[in-house]
Amino acid sequence: MALTDDMIRLLSAGVAHQVGGCTNDGRPVVCRGLAAQHEAGRLLVIISAESGFEVLDAIRQNGRIAVNLTLPENYRSLSFMGDDAVVRGSGAAWRPLVDERHQAFSDQLLRFGIPPEYTNAWYSAPDEHLVAVRFTPTQARNQTPGPGAGNAVQLIPIEFEK
Amino acid sequence: MSAVFDDGLSLFGVRRMMEGVIPPVLCTASTDRMPNVSYLSLCEYVDPLHIALSYQFFNRSRENVLATRRAALTLDDPYTGGGVVLQLEYQRTETEGPVFERLRAKLMGVASHVGMDKVFHLRGADIYRVLEMRRVPGRRELPAAAPRVDLPTNSRLLSERMANCEDMAELLDTLLGGLADLLRIDHAMLWLFDASQQVLTLLASRGYEFDGAGAEISVGDGLVGTAVREGVPIRVGHMMNMATYARAVRERAGESGLNVAPAPEIPLPGLKEPRSQLAVPLRARGRVLGALLVESLHDQYFGYDDEDALMMLCGQFAVAMSLMQPPEQEAPTPVAVKAVVPDLKGPLLRLKRFGRDNSVFLDDVYLIRGVAGAILWKLVAEYLRSGRREFTNRELRLAPELRLPDVQDNLEVRLLLLQRRLAEQSVPIQLEKAGRGRMRINVARAVVMEQDES
Repeated sequence: MALTDDMIRLLSAGVAHQVGGCTNDGRPVVCRGLAAQHEAGRLLVIISAESGFEVLDAIRQNGRIAVNLTLPENYRSLSFMGDDAVVRGSGAAWRPLVDERHQAFSDQLLRFGIPPEYTNAWYSAPDEHLVAVRFTPTQARNQTPGPGAGNAVQLIPIEFEK
Repeated sequence: MSAVFDDGLSLFGVRRMMEGVIPPVLCTASTDRMPNVSYLSLCEYVDPLHIALSYQFFNRSRENVLATRRAALTLDDPYTGGGVVLQLEYQRTETEGPVFERLRAKLMGVASHVGMDKVFHLRGADIYRVLEMRRVPGRRELPAAAPRVDLPTNSRLLSERMANCEDMAELLDTLLGGLADLLRIDHAMLWLFDASQQVLTLLASRGYEFDGAGAEISVGDGLVGTAVREGVPIRVGHMMNMATYARAVRERAGESGLNVAPAPEIPLPGLKEPRSQLAVPLRARGRVLGALLVESLHDQYFGYDDEDALMMLCGQFAVAMSLMQPPEQEAPTPVAVKAVVPDLKGPLLRLKRFGRDNSVFLDDVYLIRGVAGAILWKLVAEYLRSGRREFTNRELRLAPELRLPDVQDNLEVRLLLLQRRLAEQSVPIQLEKAGRGRMRINVARAVVMEQDES
């Protein structure tokens, strides 16, 4: 399943990223993500290997992942779930994407009086700690706070050439 | 199983991370290990091993928790950018008791600002045992901000100043002045609670364009109205953030068919766009007598320590307010110094009272109501009847026609409110202190009184 155009626009709007997993023995784990990008029906998420080590371990165990994206200006919140997540690729190649998302997120929080110095604390991972996780979203949920948070929203079926 | 905390970490020590400046993030998983991540509105410290999370809606997170009893929670430090991640085990849901009431008061205080009282219904306080708490590694944290003032020392100084006050006016000015001088709290309002009318009346303020004495709000309105109704302090350090969150919930509620309209936002009193507010009830003798509301233009201006300090100072103020009466050995009731009302010049003033709530209007402009309204009516009537201008507090307290059940407790305060209200309105009827336990009414124009019993 692929993301709608509206969902893809949200990825670059300055969202906060939260990435969740669950180990095989039932331990839920969560960390802050640094960037997300749509790649031909798949979702790419960048995580710090240091702060996200538990999530990366859980993903390696079973491939299950939930990525929450929330836009501070209106609390619009979407989650994408998948069960084929793989941890692959790391390093400086992801720095431009991370910097771009960092700037957009920092601009968002500035509206709430949170200065860039504060946001920098979350984005202080060095290049060698940037790790890419890719998965195919099988479900999307609207997580905007309120009644019905967690309800499914429609993704676009991917049509393969015959 | 014993809890595992990183060195130096305690739940008490991370209380400030539970303020919601950066909303807490909850991760749960279904029985087949599919994770779910969502934001929470409130997290509350319970004891060294337990926290409470607000349960407002039945959603995916709750479904997962009830099935697996496990959750992970991240909390971010609003000052340094540091954070902790907790492993939680669900214990139970409380629907009454102090933890539930604290969560509900916080939720309602914020919700009432944006007309969300109906939707922001707290179903329960979910109690979790904390199995682990670890620092989020790899963050380049900022140094913690230096304290605004030496809060314990300066609170003690203010307490000593208040202890030396001899009347309500002095006590009030000392409190509001001391908040600014000693605690660097530049915007404050002191509200009185009228239990019979279920309203709060503004007694005095400091740090605003106008004093606003006599302004009213209903119990339950805003942070201050909720603090009075619940009898607990309520603090919000990120008004803008919570308002945005509340609006998001309202939109979702509307989409889900819940009746949330019309729900006009109640204008915030005082500052147009406060970033932090703290409302502290004035409690004495087991009752709530009013509340102090302090505000700031800065985010996260008030912390737990401010809450503790103001609770103590407001307690002292409330006890003093309820006890501060003029000495019982008062001078005899003054006699009329002039038996005839002087021939005053200028157009006739029309003083009108509505009996149902003792609201008093001067030339059709609302002046005051309740206890203060009844007192004003009595003073003017007596003046017109006998020409007497001076009155003792004692005779007012004993006046049978006032029939005011609360007057025993805070007559001094009501007189002060009336005096300030008249002064602020600059009307031709003014009240002034005429010595210990005595008041003098000054009437600058001829008055006609009109009673409406409807």
